[in-house]
Amino acid sequence: MHRIVVDAMGGDHAPDEVVRGAAEASLALTNAEIILVGDAQVLGRLLPRMRHDGARVRVHHAPTFVEMDEKPAEALAAKPEASIAVAADLVARGEGDALVSAGNTGASVLACARRWPLLQGVRRAALAAVYPTELRRGEKDDPFSLILDVGATIDATAEDLVGFAVMGSAYAKLVSQNRRPRVALLSNGTEAGKGPAEVIEAHARLVETTELNFIGNIEGLDIPRGVADVVVTSGFVGNVVLKMLEGVSETVVRLARYAHKERLAWRLGLVALSSAIDQLKEVTDWQQYGGAPLLGFTHPFIKAHGRSNARAIHNAVKVAHKALAGNLTGNIARTMAELDERSQRRGA
Amino acid sequence: MGLLGKLTALPLRVGEKIGLLEPDVPALPPGARPPKHTFRWDLDKTYLRTEFDSLADLAKSAIETAADKQAYPGATALLRALCQDGHRICIVSGSPTQMRQVLAAKLALDGVEYDEFVLKNNLKNILKGRFRSLRAQIPYKLPAMLRSRIAAAAQSETLFGDDAEADAIIYCLYADLIAGKVTLGDLERVLIASRAYDDDAERCLALARDVPKGEAVRRLFIHLDRRSPPMGFRRFGPRLVPVYNYFQAALVLYQDHVLTARQVIFVALEMLDSGQYELGHLATSVQDVIRRGRITRETALQLAAEANEAAKSGALSGRRDLPPFDQIAEAFRERVRELGGPVTADAEDIEPLDYVRLVDEEHEHRHRRRRSGMG
Repeated sequence: MHRIVVDAMGGDHAPDEVVRGAAEASLALTNAEIILVGDAQVLGRLLPRMRHDGARVRVHHAPTFVEMDEKPAEALAAKPEASIAVAADLVARGEGDALVSAGNTGASVLACARRWPLLQGVRRAALAAVYPTELRRGEKDDPFSLILDVGATIDATAEDLVGFAVMGSAYAKLVSQNRRPRVALLSNGTEAGKGPAEVIEAHARLVETTELNFIGNIEGLDIPRGVADVVVTSGFVGNVVLKMLEGVSETVVRLARYAHKERLAWRLGLVALSSAIDQLKEVTDWQQYGGAPLLGFTHPFIKAHGRSNARAIHNAVKVAHKALAGNLTGNIARTMAELDERSQRRGA
Repeated sequence: MGLLGKLTALPLRVGEKIGLLEPDVPALPPGARPPKHTFRWDLDKTYLRTEFDSLADLAKSAIETAADKQAYPGATALLRALCQDGHRICIVSGSPTQMRQVLAAKLALDGVEYDEFVLKNNLKNILKGRFRSLRAQIPYKLPAMLRSRIAAAAQSETLFGDDAEADAIIYCLYADLIAGKVTLGDLERVLIASRAYDDDAERCLALARDVPKGEAVRRLFIHLDRRSPPMGFRRFGPRLVPVYNYFQAALVLYQDHVLTARQVIFVALEMLDSGQYELGHLATSVQDVIRRGRITRETALQLAAEANEAAKSGALSGRRDLPPFDQIAEAFRERVRELGGPVTADAEDIEPLDYVRLVDEEHEHRHRRRRSGMG
């Protein structure tokens, strides 16, 4: 049985939507136990109003929680019994196997980093994000590509980037059911010699790996095209890229709204396209994806979007369950050990 | 028996065989002491795992053998525990009388003894053209329960049903009726709302008039087979306890001094043996009933202590697959501690039940489900 700890107080719509999503997951995942961490009084009032399995959802009391706009380090210092801290503790103590949170990203990452050890061979953790692309991938026909790191590690060495590539590939294999995900380094040119020193060095190392399907460097414009299934970059660049991509999407929506108001012909055009837009919305719906993982630690952590509703939380719990059932952390550790062995042989 | 007697008994036996005639509810022998406690059980979705959601499910259920039929984990151990101490077990099921043989065989296989076993005579309903009666629950179950109480009235009664049909309404109506809280006029309005045929309604009213009165119904358990939100049953008052599994029912019955710690252990062991539950699930089930205010922390801790004694005296002997009981008890205590301070369930004002409205709502709900193809 897999025990999935859910920070019930984290997220814009917490605790109601988080509890509802976890409750739904308890009915869908018969070999999982959901541990809701948060105010027991509040959670105890919510659960009986929802369809769930009372033998598979339990509550662990945490008296406080970190607000979405609080500074992570300060909030965790001031609130040692915040739901995310208690949740990460439960996993660290072996009372849970994976963690899901839609709460403050910084606080969630920090809470895990302070309590969970890194996997053997992993130097730094990476936070991944998913982005909808033109091309689809894997047995699930997944429209999302994975970008990592998007903020857990600001500076990344060549060794870190290789580690991110291994972790991203293992995750894509499992979650997108993509047998051989295409892994690429994000750079300012496709040539091997382009980019900063750490990217050039990482390229040289990745080219030699047989464990990964490394396709070389890609440029920013290749991300939405879906040229790669796993895009590897440092946390600083990844965060900037992700925010920019989100900004572009929002601007496109605003422009469409403007067009809708401006001219009748444009409005009619948009109405004609509405079913196609709905379909596009369906395939690129991040709620369907559930969340993005924090990779590199001994336990899976799925960070759900702050605006997650019940469906997104349900899917995030399912992703966590999949990560446990597919032994994601074990697979990462094994590949890292193989790479390490090869580099030692080369050194000798 | 003479030849004439045999000839007159023949149509009765044939009638029973094809399910057209039903044996009468056995009354207590003259001078016999009335039972202390009667436990009334529904079968489908309460004791037996039954799927009715599609025609294929119905067909499968009809052709299943006794060995194919599956009881819910813990239900058999609980029923067996309740059979003891001279308690009366009455089964009232909506299954057709033609299922009697296979259902009786299933209960025999499970080692469950019963005093009454009432099934629904749908063949008679079809032959008489009473098609409304095929689906109607209140005009069938309520008179059956009243008849049973008239035959043998117990001081206390505990009822077991499920969340799929109108069990909560019927059981509460029965409890309030025998407690004298529902007038015959009210009952007549409920029977009209539940589309009872006139003669059935008259018979039911006559039974209600004759039934021995008293606040007998102590508990009503609703097995959440469909995982309906427990809050939906809050309006039926605190005596109705929605349960996710029979360990939870056993916990409440332990608190009510109906079951001993040892009997609760047997229910738990049967659930573990089913392979569908682990110790963690049972511990979480304890936490759930505490959170919902159905048992107290003190009860849970007292049970842990008594169960520990029972385990020491051999209740777990031969169970090498389980960790030492000290560890099990500690895991259960930990689940209680996880709740932090005292958790109080919602204290909402419970209004008196308006049965006519409840019946109308249940009809509407059932039609909606049928329209949406959910049963």
